[in-house]
Amino acid sequence: MVRNIVILGGNSHPKLVDSLCNILGVPACNRVLGRFECGESRCEIKDSVRGKDVYIIQTGFGGNGAKLNDHFMDLCIMISACKTGSARRVTAVLPLFPYSRQPDLPYHKAGAPLYKTPSVDSSKKDYTFESVPATPGPGLPKSAGLTNGTELTSRLKSTLTNGTGPSAAANGKSTGEGYFPVNGVDDTKGANGVNGANGVNGVNGVNGVNGYVNGINGHRGHSSSVSSQSAKYTTHDYENVSLITSFQARPGYKQWVAQAGTLVANLLTCAGADHVITMDLHDPQVQGFFDVPVDNLYGRPLLKRYITQNIPDYKSAIIVSPDAGGAKRATAIADSLEMDFALIHKERRPTKITDRQNASMMLVGNVADRVCILLDDIVDTGNTLTRAAKLLKREGATKIYALLTHGVFSGDAISRINASALDKVIVTNSVPQDEHKALLGPKLEVLDISPIFGEAIRRVHHGESISVLFNFD
Amino acid sequence: MSAEMANEVKLISGRSHPELSDKIAKRLGIEVARTISLNYSNQETSFTVGESVRDEDVFIIQSTATGDVNEGLMELLIIISACRTASARRITAVIPNFPYARQDKKDKSRAPISARLVANMLQTAGANHIVTVDLHASQIQGFFSVPVDNLYAEPSFLRYIRENFNPEDCVIVSPDAGGAKRATSIADHLKTAFALIHKERPRPNVVGRMVLVGSVEDKVAILVDDMADTCGTLVKAAAVLKENGAKSVLALVTHGILSGNAIETLNGSCLSALIVTNTVPLGDKVERCPKLRVIDISPTIAEAIRRTHNGESVSYLFTHAPV
Repeated sequence: MVRNIVILGGNSHPKLVDSLCNILGVPACNRVLGRFECGESRCEIKDSVRGKDVYIIQTGFGGNGAKLNDHFMDLCIMISACKTGSARRVTAVLPLFPYSRQPDLPYHKAGAPLYKTPSVDSSKKDYTFESVPATPGPGLPKSAGLTNGTELTSRLKSTLTNGTGPSAAANGKSTGEGYFPVNGVDDTKGANGVNGANGVNGVNGVNGVNGYVNGINGHRGHSSSVSSQSAKYTTHDYENVSLITSFQARPGYKQWVAQAGTLVANLLTCAGADHVITMDLHDPQVQGFFDVPVDNLYGRPLLKRYITQNIPDYKSAIIVSPDAGGAKRATAIADSLEMDFALIHKERRPTKITDRQNASMMLVGNVADRVCILLDDIVDTGNTLTRAAKLLKREGATKIYALLTHGVFSGDAISRINASALDKVIVTNSVPQDEHKALLGPKLEVLDISPIFGEAIRRVHHGESISVLFNFD
Repeated sequence: MSAEMANEVKLISGRSHPELSDKIAKRLGIEVARTISLNYSNQETSFTVGESVRDEDVFIIQSTATGDVNEGLMELLIIISACRTASARRITAVIPNFPYARQDKKDKSRAPISARLVANMLQTAGANHIVTVDLHASQIQGFFSVPVDNLYAEPSFLRYIRENFNPEDCVIVSPDAGGAKRATSIADHLKTAFALIHKERPRPNVVGRMVLVGSVEDKVAILVDDMADTCGTLVKAAAVLKENGAKSVLALVTHGILSGNAIETLNGSCLSALIVTNTVPLGDKVERCPKLRVIDISPTIAEAIRRTHNGESVSYLFTHAPV
């Protein structure tokens, strides 16, 4: 039983709120939190918070009948209500920090999804790691999941014949133009305009590959084939396709995407948050956006415990980081468990000027006949992860685990993972996982973070050091 | 920096009300800036800038679409902050319908003053100036430490009444005590009678008993209010006015939020017409409700933008509606 503390839960993760209250031995604060019919948030805090230490639990995840931005506004309104209600201190607890991921991969650096243009040897019967499994789009009948690429290969062929020719022709003129979408953005990936810019791809002839690749304008008009159907939808299925297709940056201006990380940090402090507790920030630099203390907890101990307790003969397994950015995270665990480490590297150095969009993935390290453990902080659309899994399988991995802190599984991630070479996906409940669990079944395993957060809240409340949580095993 | 350097109006449109932005842009004779807002599949909002705003006078037009208030607000904040990062000279948020304007006071213990929160958020994001229309309570201007231009739909309403009715036959009615000032101002300008309906409101969005103060017999009763949300108040008020002998009842409202079952409520009511401005995107509501008529407010907003940009006085617009 902790005194003088108020746990106020948002609507984004009621289960976590319940278990935190259980751990701390206090009832959750009585509140009304909903929405007026006009769409404005409605918040009434029923219990007194005067002079109390208030912890507001809201994760950065859209769900439970509201969108991500609704939850975020709710959080700000709750913070502000507690502040005006004379709370002594208000701490925002955000297990998953919203807008923390500065869009990198699979986004283009200008914010667009990055469609890899693999160098495919179309005569190869084996499936390639570069190809992305076809995923159904909204309103389309679901296609059967891909099984090891036999079907894919035929698709690749058809796309190659259909797609590349016209796209190469159409895009030839844009090669020198870099980012400016002179081609008019294509309705298929529509995506964002930036793609149109990748005109470069079409030229290489080898590209085109599966439906996802930037066949760019080439795919337009092939509405009958399966591959062009899947080409209509991308890892990031933007809502308003007609709007996107009409968008073009002003010639001579390189378009860019706003980064909301600093803004979100400022908004939280402006609402009145005195302290922020979060977990496994995608960029630890986000901590520096705040003027108030930020405690960035680690999911690492949980993941480590899972490895040691649930993976048979883990010492002979190998830890793999799916991209260079996560290498530090992965090596930290590999070191402390004295395991081997491998890295998947995305080669993006241009070999020739027309080739600069061509990235290839390569594996640094040997995974043949070994169990692989992919480690990352977040799975969103699952693009990076499933592609990494394919590469590992191709390199001879026997079994592939993926351990992640935040399982967002947005867009078509679930079907993508179901169709992938991943044998097991382990995530924490930093966002609600019930729905994902129902869809992924035994493939998904969920670790409970509430003990970590409960302990952090208890220690912060009592003014004890929480650094012990950072290196506890 | 030389004073001759180009410093132009950049009009950026959020997703909530592109029609209004287009009208304003047309009126100003400029193009809406090339930007695009999207939602990633994880529901985070992303904003792409497709042209330079460096050292420009940026006006961001974002209304609040009914049901999507928070989305629109976050998008607006992200756009503002993006423009600030991109070195805009001045950032003016044009918010025709100010979100959370009704949550403007601590009327209960621990009630959030969300309007102030929104004001703080806008300033935190980097807005240098706010332009809005018919704030629910003009005190909200005090929540800001940057200038707020609160435009009025009143001149447009006055013109509409003069064009369509004989002011002698009309009575201006305020549906609640809070709106009495707004209604009396219109009544004074038209030199007509004024009446007021007193209502008891037990809970939000629920309408209690209503009492008419004043006479509406054999007159055209014109209800005047700043927003029509669920329309419960308006429809009940209309019924009270009919009971008290009004010839016909219509309503002039600035913000047609019309959430929930508002359209059905209106269609089944004794209101002969509901006239709103286009501060809020109406979608297909005009088709669904034959009683709904729309006054275009874009000339007023466009003129305010022009005057703000040129450093001219805006107060002329408080009494005159541009043609």
